[in-house]
Amino acid sequence: MGLINGLMTTIKHVLQEKATFQYPEVERPVRERYKGRHALKRYDNGMEKCIGCALCAAACPADAIWVEAAENTDDERYSPGERYAKTYEINMLRCIFCGYCEDACPTEAIVLEHEYKLSFTDRRDSIYTKDMLIDPVPPGGQDTPHQVEPHSYDRPIPDMENPK
Amino acid sequence: MVTIYIDGVGYEVPAGTNLVDVAKFYADNDIPVFCYHPKMAPVGMCRMCLVEMGSVEKDKESGTVLLDEQGSPKIRWMPKMQTACTQTVYDGLAIRTNTQQVTEAREDIVEFLLTSHPLDCPICDKGGECPLQNLTMRHGPGVSVFYFEDKMHLAKHVPLGELIYLDRERCIQCARCIRFSDELAGDDVLAFHERGRALQIVTVSDPPFDSKFSGNTTDICPVGALTTADFRFGARPWELKEVPSIDPYGPEGANISLSTRLDRDSGGGIIIKRVMPRQNEHVNEIWISDKTRFGHHHTRHIDRLVTPLHREKNTLIETTWDKAFKQIIDKLKGATSVGAIAGPGLSNEDLWELRQLVLAVGGSEKSLGIWPATMSGGEVVKQVGIAKGSNFNTMGKGTVIVLVATDLEEEAPIWWLRAKAARDRGATVVVLNGRPTKMDRYAKFSLRHEYGDAVGAINSLTAHIVNGNHHKADRAEGFAELQKALKKVKADDRYAAAAEAIAGADNVVVFCGAEGVTLAQHAELMQACANVLILTGHVGRTNNGLIPVWPGANTQGAIDLGYTAEATAELLQNPPAVLIVAGCNPVGEDIAAANLRNADFVIVTSQFDTATTAIADVVLPQQSFAEREGTFTSGERRVQRFYAAQGVIGESFPDWKIFAQVRHAIDKSTAKVSAGAVMAEITKSVAAYSAMGYKNLAQVERQFPDVGGTDQYYGGTAYQNTGGIGVQWPVSAENAEAKLNVVPVSSEKSKAKGLLVVPTTLLYDRGMLFVRSEIMSLRIPPAHANFSPADAQKLKLQDGDMVEINLEGASLTVQIIVNETIPAGVITLPKCLSDQPGPFAPMVAGSIEKVAQALAATGD
Amino acid sequence: MLAEKYAERIQKIFSKYPDKRSAVMPLLYVAQEEFGWVSPEAIEEVAVLCEIDPTQVKSIAGFYTMYSEKPKGKYWLQVCTDFPCALRGADQFHQALLDHLGIEEGGTTEDGLFTVEHVMCLAACDKAPMLQCNFHYVENLDMDKMKALLDQWRADAKDSAAD
Repeated sequence: MGLINGLMTTIKHVLQEKATFQYPEVERPVRERYKGRHALKRYDNGMEKCIGCALCAAACPADAIWVEAAENTDDERYSPGERYAKTYEINMLRCIFCGYCEDACPTEAIVLEHEYKLSFTDRRDSIYTKDMLIDPVPPGGQDTPHQVEPHSYDRPIPDMENPK
Repeated sequence: MVTIYIDGVGYEVPAGTNLVDVAKFYADNDIPVFCYHPKMAPVGMCRMCLVEMGSVEKDKESGTVLLDEQGSPKIRWMPKMQTACTQTVYDGLAIRTNTQQVTEAREDIVEFLLTSHPLDCPICDKGGECPLQNLTMRHGPGVSVFYFEDKMHLAKHVPLGELIYLDRERCIQCARCIRFSDELAGDDVLAFHERGRALQIVTVSDPPFDSKFSGNTTDICPVGALTTADFRFGARPWELKEVPSIDPYGPEGANISLSTRLDRDSGGGIIIKRVMPRQNEHVNEIWISDKTRFGHHHTRHIDRLVTPLHREKNTLIETTWDKAFKQIIDKLKGATSVGAIAGPGLSNEDLWELRQLVLAVGGSEKSLGIWPATMSGGEVVKQVGIAKGSNFNTMGKGTVIVLVATDLEEEAPIWWLRAKAARDRGATVVVLNGRPTKMDRYAKFSLRHEYGDAVGAINSLTAHIVNGNHHKADRAEGFAELQKALKKVKADDRYAAAAEAIAGADNVVVFCGAEGVTLAQHAELMQACANVLILTGHVGRTNNGLIPVWPGANTQGAIDLGYTAEATAELLQNPPAVLIVAGCNPVGEDIAAANLRNADFVIVTSQFDTATTAIADVVLPQQSFAEREGTFTSGERRVQRFYAAQGVIGESFPDWKIFAQVRHAIDKSTAKVSAGAVMAEITKSVAAYSAMGYKNLAQVERQFPDVGGTDQYYGGTAYQNTGGIGVQWPVSAENAEAKLNVVPVSSEKSKAKGLLVVPTTLLYDRGMLFVRSEIMSLRIPPAHANFSPADAQKLKLQDGDMVEINLEGASLTVQIIVNETIPAGVITLPKCLSDQPGPFAPMVAGSIEKVAQALAATGD
Repeated sequence: MLAEKYAERIQKIFSKYPDKRSAVMPLLYVAQEEFGWVSPEAIEEVAVLCEIDPTQVKSIAGFYTMYSEKPKGKYWLQVCTDFPCALRGADQFHQALLDHLGIEEGGTTEDGLFTVEHVMCLAACDKAPMLQCNFHYVENLDMDKMKALLDQWRADAKDSAAD
């Protein structure tokens, strides 16, 4: 009897839907709040959200982020306001995907996305530069840097609302 | 000392000091401030420092303090809160800083200040070391009753000149920058405009914010309203590593902090991001000049020499250190004569090893020259240099500050600033020069003498002092001879009052420069100044003595180690077979150095290609002050350490290491492996430097007022002095038994006829290091000469004309400026403004030819 | 240039003060009378006359409301709208005046005759609504009186232009 009971369990599982995903042919969707590779976001008009404040680097417990800032001009504008990130690098070998950078960011420029397939054959490749991290220009937007009307983007965070 | 009570606890504090400073220093009670700054007079504008204030009740007859039931003193409190910053302490003063009333007042002030302060902290250069940020975190209310939408939006990028940017929104109207420029720097080029909520900082001066101290306003700004163009967005303050260093340009020895950080553009190496002042109350307090602050770009300039070069078929080509060394060693071994000229930026260690090398290969002290070779008088300084422990901070009423033949603001801006501050506290300033300078504005006695007659002017002073029987001859050796010689001096009446002021003063400090005097005259001039000081007894006591306004950061150190300007003059006349030129560019600067071409073999250590490397047979890449350790000796004889801050550029080496290696190869002496070891040897060999071991030099002390460290409200993270306050060596006059030499000096003038060209020193010149700071390029004037209106008229020249001035075989093309302050018969010609070498000593001009007309004024 | 045109008057002003920088305010009035406003050039010139930095002169001109750093109409009408005046209808009067002239607050009419701006208390609360025309008080106003006055000023301006 014990044997039949045991087999019944086996048979029940054989008939159930398969729990295994055939990775890499099939990729299992991740949860909405999954913390994968970072992305630097853009505004709808293509302007970079990142202002190069380096608060992410300050918040980073693994010291994985390196930011160097420079000054925008109206002829060569990357982001609203005076400051933008000239260099933005994340060392993915160091990163522990804690998401503190996301919390620290005052402009919601850095977001941990769902990409988790990070592999490299050289440790130097583990440094993701700004070009690799930044989102593509949204449709209708303009790539950075670009020329803008003088004084149209003097304020750093254009639509910042009353802090709640 | 008086007793004050802070939050019920009694403290013994010095009378007459400011309550905020005292509470911080003695009671560790940080009374928050915005507008108050310990280096400036209080104004009580921001109201942040409100505290409850009262006085201890005393028995009217006996004067004893009345006690309450608990046994603590009875205090009569004022009905309303008072500003602490406008209160000096007195006996029985009591304050309360921890009551609800005070806490609420602080909350309210912060809330008001934030009604229109932008939420810029993430992009603000001050964010992280911002007093407003700190005080908001500590005393702010957390929530505001004001609407975010009501914030004012104003211009965020207003250049106040080329160096400083103003962000109008961030300004909290404390007026620290205005007060600094106006009260301390004497450049009233900033002011408030409008009033109330529309109040703004403006400048309409031309050129705007024209001050040699403008960078200091960004340090004392309690918000990020003023930022420097140099550091703008360079790094966040918490990412910077502060390395203590010393100003490589001036004789004041200003203490600085090099804020360093890794940088991608510089190949990932550590570089200097900014230069900040470091607190040293004996030297520069918390101020530095713009030259010091913005002149650091040479340390990582693209043109820096990175490999040794040697001459092959008349061109310099790259070589290796080994080959270069071999060449040098071969030449030095067989040399018939050796000489060395040491630049102004060489550390004591460099100078020592260079000296040892020259002596090892048959040279003598007569072959050790300094550059620039304009000033003499090392022996005089040993006798009557400013006494150990002197401090301009403690000078005021009763002090006379004499400026001889110097434009102090241009030559030593920090001394100028501190001397002016002493004058504002009541000191008397006497200026003796051939033309008016900025200090004349503050001088009680502005005495003009003919250029070339500086010695005569001082002799007049001496004669007045002796004739008026104001002298004390007890310590003077050779007084009889001097007295005899003075009988022949016709004392000019114009000097009588100044002589009396000097003789009657409690303290006298003499700054002696070399404007308008030749090297030979300068030796006499220094002795003449010493005569005045000795005969009036103003030597060997704190706040008394002579300060030579040396032309370089470590000229004093060079003189202490046996180098002289006289030797340089001799080397220029008769170049030796093998000449070592370390860290300077004589050929490119001075027409008298053209002769150096005749040396058989020239070894140059340099950071850049110059006219001097062009005549070199071997060029060795030298490290800048930022890459190595060392010590400089300031004009007040304070030996101070600087530390290695940035990565080494190319294959460059510190000079001491180069010379030690060469000497090792020649005489098999043990080559020292660290700068500290070199200094250890100096301490054993040079008596004055016996206490200058690196450990002693690194000693720090707690300084008053307390602005560095964990301080919350004076701004900047760089003030804290972690590198040492330095050690001064004593002069012989400090030994009360020592006799001091007074020597009659001749005041003979040169008899040559014609227009006298007087070289002057400008702070911003085209010296080989400073010119690499592109940010300052607009501040460096074009090559020019100042003509008096009379001479210009005689020569039919106009303001703006280009002329060629011929001088002893050399010629120099400059623009002329017709300047009313220049005496007739004199042309002042600033040094090092052109690529052509100019004169370093006054000389009579040959022909002057106009080569181009002034451009007609355009636009109207 | 002021120095030539008003040499005597400037000399008299200087003679009243122990040092030159004290004369800054009266000299600014001279400049304002001459040009109708304190122009940057005027600031420059006063600075030279007083031997101080132009920034300091600008600061003084900005602090005191009776100096104007913007060009003004021939008649500079300053309407007091402070609290007691407002209670007597100064706000409405001010607005009506602006509407009548067809200008914004602080603006100048196209013919360059009138500039209207509101100011804080002029210490004539009992005679509100009132205004100050080129520093002379006109009190107990209403729009009818005002219109008559404006017409009169227009006529005056025409006369003086014809002279």
